Amino acid sequence: MSNKKYAIILDDTTCIDCKACTLACKTENNVEAGFFSYRNWVGEIENDQAVFPNIRRKFRPSQCQQCDNPPCVHVCPTRASYQTEDGVVLVDYHKCILCKYCMTACPYDARYESHDKHAIDKCTFCYHRLAEGREPACVETCPPKVRKFVNLLDKQDENTKLLQTEAIEVQKPEKGTKPKLYYIK
Amino acid sequence: MSSHTEAVKSHSDIFNGNKRIPLSVIIVLLALSAVSLYGLFNVITQGHTASYGTTKTVPWGILISTYVFFVVSSTGLCLISSMGHVFNIEKYEVIGKRAIILAILTICCGFFVIATEIGHPIRMAIYNVISPNLASAIWWMGTLYGIYLFCIIVEFYFLMTHNHKGAFYAGLAGFIAGISAHSNLGAVFGFLDARPFWHGPYLPIYFILSALISGCALVIIIFNVAYKGEANMPAKAKEALLGIAKIFGLLLGIIIFFDIWKVLTSVYGAPPEKYEAVMTMIAGPLSINFWFFEVLLGMLIPFALILGTKGRSIKAALVASCSAIVGIFFMRYDLVVAGQLVPMREATAGSRVQGVVEGLAQYTPTASEITIVAGAIILCAGLYLAAERFLNLTED
Repeated sequence: MSNKKYAIILDDTTCIDCKACTLACKTENNVEAGFFSYRNWVGEIENDQAVFPNIRRKFRPSQCQQCDNPPCVHVCPTRASYQTEDGVVLVDYHKCILCKYCMTACPYDARYESHDKHAIDKCTFCYHRLAEGREPACVETCPPKVRKFVNLLDKQDENTKLLQTEAIEVQKPEKGTKPKLYYIK
Repeated sequence: MSSHTEAVKSHSDIFNGNKRIPLSVIIVLLALSAVSLYGLFNVITQGHTASYGTTKTVPWGILISTYVFFVVSSTGLCLISSMGHVFNIEKYEVIGKRAIILAILTICCGFFVIATEIGHPIRMAIYNVISPNLASAIWWMGTLYGIYLFCIIVEFYFLMTHNHKGAFYAGLAGFIAGISAHSNLGAVFGFLDARPFWHGPYLPIYFILSALISGCALVIIIFNVAYKGEANMPAKAKEALLGIAKIFGLLLGIIIFFDIWKVLTSVYGAPPEKYEAVMTMIAGPLSINFWFFEVLLGMLIPFALILGTKGRSIKAALVASCSAIVGIFFMRYDLVVAGQLVPMREATAGSRVQGVVEGLAQYTPTASEITIVAGAIILCAGLYLAAERFLNLTED
């Protein structure tokens, strides 16, 4: 039993849409060139109701939700998609048969087909960096520090305490996937 | 000596085919099936992404729906033929060999189509065995269809060698494997909570029902082909077909009932995502497919023809069957595509959701996909006619 369960807490009210997270991710993980080849993204939250001068642009950076109950892992016929003990969903590229079932099962459209790897790819929370005690590239690079990388089992951590002190929301909670990307409202 | 004579007799009996089928038609069909080489060449030289119309947002396209169409047909033929040599309803024994050989050919063509869709078909065969995920509906579906294919090949062998007991056991095993595999195919879609249009127990049940319809329609078509119409048909075959035509009509009535409630529950109260998905069929990009092909050709025309003739006309049943098969092809397409047209994320600026226009994802099959599909269908028809010509598929 691991004493770690990784998650990211995001305060997207501070996001400036610089897309440094997207660039850092692509560079760190050698994500191939291409507009639709990406592991994370920054979507604008559009508000049709706002009236000038009371307007404000709002952005929502996102990526694989690293669900605690991941549908992509359940559906993968060859166990190419799997969940580590510390709760990160990864893909064993050599086992992926490119049936794309995980892509239809993911409620967050967080997966893409990698032509370099000849497999379905996704965010890994920069798993290769975690062993070195480093944070994921998107967390490290963010100028306004939107993302905070936390170990949910470390209750003393100041960032983890945000889950108790702040109002939190997750995306599509009704899907029962128990996402581990927590957004401060 | 006598056993040798028996063996020779039985051997010559097996290959005493149907000479009504012109060799030229078989050769032309098999040659035309080479059209799929266009798609295959493209996918081998340029890769799946460049050759197919599928996207990140709509990962499954016409190749998946055609695979479903083929395996639905195969299961249906197996289930319908089991009425004869598994459930011992004598009048349906006559359909056994033809239905089972077509069941074998349709599932093989289905496997061909899915192999062109999956990125690593060889890897699939390996890792399905050495790294199985028992929680995956695709794993179960693939494995059970493998078992099913084995069972129906054995069943066909026993039918050809007049081993009734063997055909019964193999047929029973094929029946069970077919029902399990096919409902699992429904579950491939039905398990996905992410896609409200597919999610739930409806599809595994609906797939079995629609398989029976495909099975009835194909049996009616192949008997008309084998005997070149009603006029040359022996009384036993006619009697079986008239029975099948009535079952066909009943099943069409049931599927219309199913469809009405599927649509109504998807529209009533506009349940999120389900409503948008069904509206792509009712008044969106799939509306011609839905109203003309699926509803009119697939259900209403065949149902009216069977009802109008009270199931007593083989000619009307043949027209109804052809109409239904065309409609059913589009039914599969609509089912697979409509479930994916509602994107999983809102396509706002920066979200990079691929190919979304006015809130809906887009999918159009490419020439590569269409040629593979057309080639597979023509190949299946050609192989069936070849089997009809070179094998004795007539029940004594």
